[in-house]
Amino acid sequence: MKAKRYLVAGTAAALAIGLSACGGSTGNSSSGGASGAPADDSQCSQTTVFCVGLVTDTGKVDDKSFNQSAHEGAKKAAAASNGYYKYIETQDAKDYAANIKQFTDKHYDVVITVGFMMTDATAAAAAANSTTKFIGVDQAFDKTKVTVKNVTGLLFPEDQAGYGAGYLAGLMTKTNKLGQVLGLEIPPVQKYAKGFEAGAKAANPAVTVSTVYHPAGDNAFNDPTWGAAEAKKALDQGADFVFGAGGNTGNGALQEVAKASGAGDTVFCIGVDTDQWDTVPAAQKCLITSATKLISAGVTDLVEKSKDNDFGGLVSMGKAGLAPYHAFDAKVPDTVKSKVSDIVKQMEAGTLKTGVTL
Amino acid sequence: MPHPSARPEREPAEPVTPPAPPDSPAPGGPGDGPGGLLAAIFRYQSVVVILVALLGAMAIGAALIRYQGVNPWYAYETIFKQALFTSDGLTRTLAKTTPLILTGLAVVLPLRVGLFNIGGQGQFLLGAIAAAWAAYQTSALGVLAIVVGVVVGILFGAMVGSIAAILKTWRGVHEVITTIMLNNIAAGIVWWLVTGPFQAPNAGGIPQTHEIGEAARIPTVAGIPLGFGVAVVLALVCAWMLKRTTLGFRFDTVGKNRHAAGYAGIPINRVILLAMVFAGGLAGLAGALEVHGVMHHFEPAIAGTLGFDGITIALLARSNPLWTIPAGFLVGILRTGAAGLQFATGIAPEIVDLLLAITLLLVSIPVLGRWIFRSRAHKVSAASTSWGS
Amino acid sequence: MGAWVARNKWSVTLAAIVLVAAYIFYALSSGTALSMYKYAWSYAVPLVLCALVGVVGERSGVVNIGIEGQLLVSAFAGFFGAAYSGSLLVGMLSGIGCGLILGGFLAWTTVKWQMDQIIAGVVLNIVATGITSFYYKPGQVLPALMPHVSIPGLSSIPLIGEVFFKGTGVIALVAIVAVVVIHIGLFRTRWGLRTRAIGEYPSAADTAGINVIRMRLVNVTLAGVLAGLAGVYLSMDSTSSFERGMSAGRGFLALAIMIFGAWRPLRAAAAALFFGFVTATASQLQTEQIINVAPQLVGTLPYVMTLVVLAVAAGKVRAPGAVGQPFVKGDKS
Repeated sequence: MKAKRYLVAGTAAALAIGLSACGGSTGNSSSGGASGAPADDSQCSQTTVFCVGLVTDTGKVDDKSFNQSAHEGAKKAAAASNGYYKYIETQDAKDYAANIKQFTDKHYDVVITVGFMMTDATAAAAAANSTTKFIGVDQAFDKTKVTVKNVTGLLFPEDQAGYGAGYLAGLMTKTNKLGQVLGLEIPPVQKYAKGFEAGAKAANPAVTVSTVYHPAGDNAFNDPTWGAAEAKKALDQGADFVFGAGGNTGNGALQEVAKASGAGDTVFCIGVDTDQWDTVPAAQKCLITSATKLISAGVTDLVEKSKDNDFGGLVSMGKAGLAPYHAFDAKVPDTVKSKVSDIVKQMEAGTLKTGVTL
Repeated sequence: MPHPSARPEREPAEPVTPPAPPDSPAPGGPGDGPGGLLAAIFRYQSVVVILVALLGAMAIGAALIRYQGVNPWYAYETIFKQALFTSDGLTRTLAKTTPLILTGLAVVLPLRVGLFNIGGQGQFLLGAIAAAWAAYQTSALGVLAIVVGVVVGILFGAMVGSIAAILKTWRGVHEVITTIMLNNIAAGIVWWLVTGPFQAPNAGGIPQTHEIGEAARIPTVAGIPLGFGVAVVLALVCAWMLKRTTLGFRFDTVGKNRHAAGYAGIPINRVILLAMVFAGGLAGLAGALEVHGVMHHFEPAIAGTLGFDGITIALLARSNPLWTIPAGFLVGILRTGAAGLQFATGIAPEIVDLLLAITLLLVSIPVLGRWIFRSRAHKVSAASTSWGS
Repeated sequence: MGAWVARNKWSVTLAAIVLVAAYIFYALSSGTALSMYKYAWSYAVPLVLCALVGVVGERSGVVNIGIEGQLLVSAFAGFFGAAYSGSLLVGMLSGIGCGLILGGFLAWTTVKWQMDQIIAGVVLNIVATGITSFYYKPGQVLPALMPHVSIPGLSSIPLIGEVFFKGTGVIALVAIVAVVVIHIGLFRTRWGLRTRAIGEYPSAADTAGINVIRMRLVNVTLAGVLAGLAGVYLSMDSTSSFERGMSAGRGFLALAIMIFGAWRPLRAAAAALFFGFVTATASQLQTEQIINVAPQLVGTLPYVMTLVVLAVAAGKVRAPGAVGQPFVKGDKS
């Protein structure tokens, strides 16, 4: 009796596995793209085959933030050079090295690692794999420790993007009150925030900026509910511009502003990192612009550059700036537009310093 | 035998430690089923239930993988190949297994006295950050800093565990509630420390502590992380303690019937306190070993979900310390293989979490065991005592 | 009413003091005060709903630590239901439905199959996290915004009306109603008496002819509706998106609030508001840069205070007697 029951259970399970196995492909879902691109990564060691790999920090490539931007840039670069592209989403911070190794074992030409938590792992992998080029997004390598040439850190002047956004907000605010809803208090976020405040004060000395960072650590970038509540509070206290900078937490703030009465007329929101007109469509009603760092373009450029002998330095400065105004093009006065674009140009030229120090 | 806390199984393979007889020989494992054939089946039963649950979970997982357009055989093969047969796969799997065994034990021991410790996460976090701090402060001591770090880690973990025990014995507060609260409190403290007082100034604003000294790092010898050895030994010690010592007997007696234990003159409060101190210490040790053996500094991501994985391990192991080793190893394999799986097939690594969740569901649903064995005779006791008492 | 006040004189006095203090603060600085109260209430809404789930479950003798999972899956189902169907109503219903199903799962496994309640809850949480992260799809949007309404009359009360009844979401209104209804239900109706009986002393209730098993099944399952509403609130009302792990521990925080509120709906709601106000204060201190309290530590306050209350007021704050124990007919243990 009992034996029979084991048998039933066993066969049922075996059958289920067997059935579902039937007709399965070899199971390679390539994310490559363009026709003519290699179908898999078995040929990556050949010089004619160009392979690009990407390792996220403990985030996902659909995070609407820097992982996604880097992913898109890498994908585009691979497609442009008719190469092969694949990514791994790290789940455990202890796996950084192992995940990079997956790519170096297959002799990928370029490996992109995303996020400053991977700085050390990237430097170590670059030292160990001289034939592979490494691009570390948001990673500042220590000149005294990293001596190899096959690695570069893609950094951005976030403070400039923040400054430009703050300048715009400072010129346009009617209430002289601005709010910032931010993720974790870490350098890239701080640079945005301090730049925003400096820019706003430069445009309008009467302005006050209320700044709040997410208190808890683990979900600081993933708590849209908190972001929304903070944005609401800022609006209730008279802010008419809210700068949401902090992954999904900031996105929550943007969406909340979009719901407020007068959204797009009297109250506005400013996105961060990418042009959030595209990534957070729910915020389009208030999203006047975004303080962006052009991660996608930066990654694409560097992948292209990796075909040269070396990157030409441990630091590759990417571009940061303001996203287009989209539907708000008509609502932003021309004088404001020209002043803001002036400021942005001055910063790019290096004649204007934001004065932001951490 | 659907219940994890119900009884200690006589595991098929005897532990390799020499069974040193304690001062007073404990009566043979209390609660062992009746003798003869029935006992054999009972012993067997839990293994069968787990195997069926695993197969069932893998079957469901296969369907999910198939649905994603990937051959399930290939997917499973990749996971196991990646975790066991690549150049450093086994080492990484063992390194991942180490904290899993320890946090598993941190759930198993309290389960044996009828407490549910879901505070492994907090105990782990505070143990890890304390170890990282202590080892950095004493890096002048060289190798001895390992000892300092590990001891401090254990102490801090044990301290967190003991808070739950003290509130339990002194005030009758349910340990599940206190450990949930303590997890959140620990997370807050750790994030405050790592972005404030303990933050390494040269880390460029990254929330992490100083690197510990080179000498204070626990090495990997012949592909086996030393920490893994520690974890295995501790699992054996726990098994021995539960089975062969007076204390182990007391643990089980308190866990089975607190009233009887009281009449028998067992100091229940002390047993509860000890169980939680051991548990906290084990979780804290897991944190310290991760600092010394893997990360070499503290960052909040060091904990991952290890504290909660301990619950999975303990349930898979049916609250038997020895079984935490294979259970931890299995979870370690899945987690190690997950990234390789995505590399080879593009399936999101969360599939592994889903697999584990389904396994856990099947393992813990009493109906599965009952269905296989048609045994309705057993009575189910709660793993933990009531909320208020 | 008079008798009720007499019995709860301490609570009523405290409430009165708080209310007066709130109005004084409002009079001093209406803008700031109002925004902080609104913040506190929006913080509290999902917590109140989830705490009610816990109260109903525990009063019936079933521990529910799977609230976090119910919340997450409901938020997931609500958002994607609405996004794919193009209808907010479908989204809300699927969110609530998922809360109900998971409540039913918990009830069935623990009450019918006598699975350990803690384990069932833990399993629920793990499964919820696995499913929602694996099946998450980016790039979806809600078809519309959730309606916000002002209750005529009530919304013109200074302060209270503005916080609770003016331009408020439907779910927040439901939360208010649910607190009152469940509180009265628990302490004033036959259902409440029976519920408390099966939670305190199931074998006596059984002897008295109450169908303990069925009542626990129904109560725990139906409480899932509230968890579903809370989930929908997270992904559709307070924000317009679902993100992985967006419940962010609120299900566990609700447990703390339930205990802090001594398993009583009104007190739990008050506790949720209190912690909401503490959080608002912390945020206000941070924005105005008055004093630099570490926000991480302020965030632990609800947990610390719950522990303190449990340690100090143990005996007075007591869980229902039979919570956590499966009921087996004819079993007196």
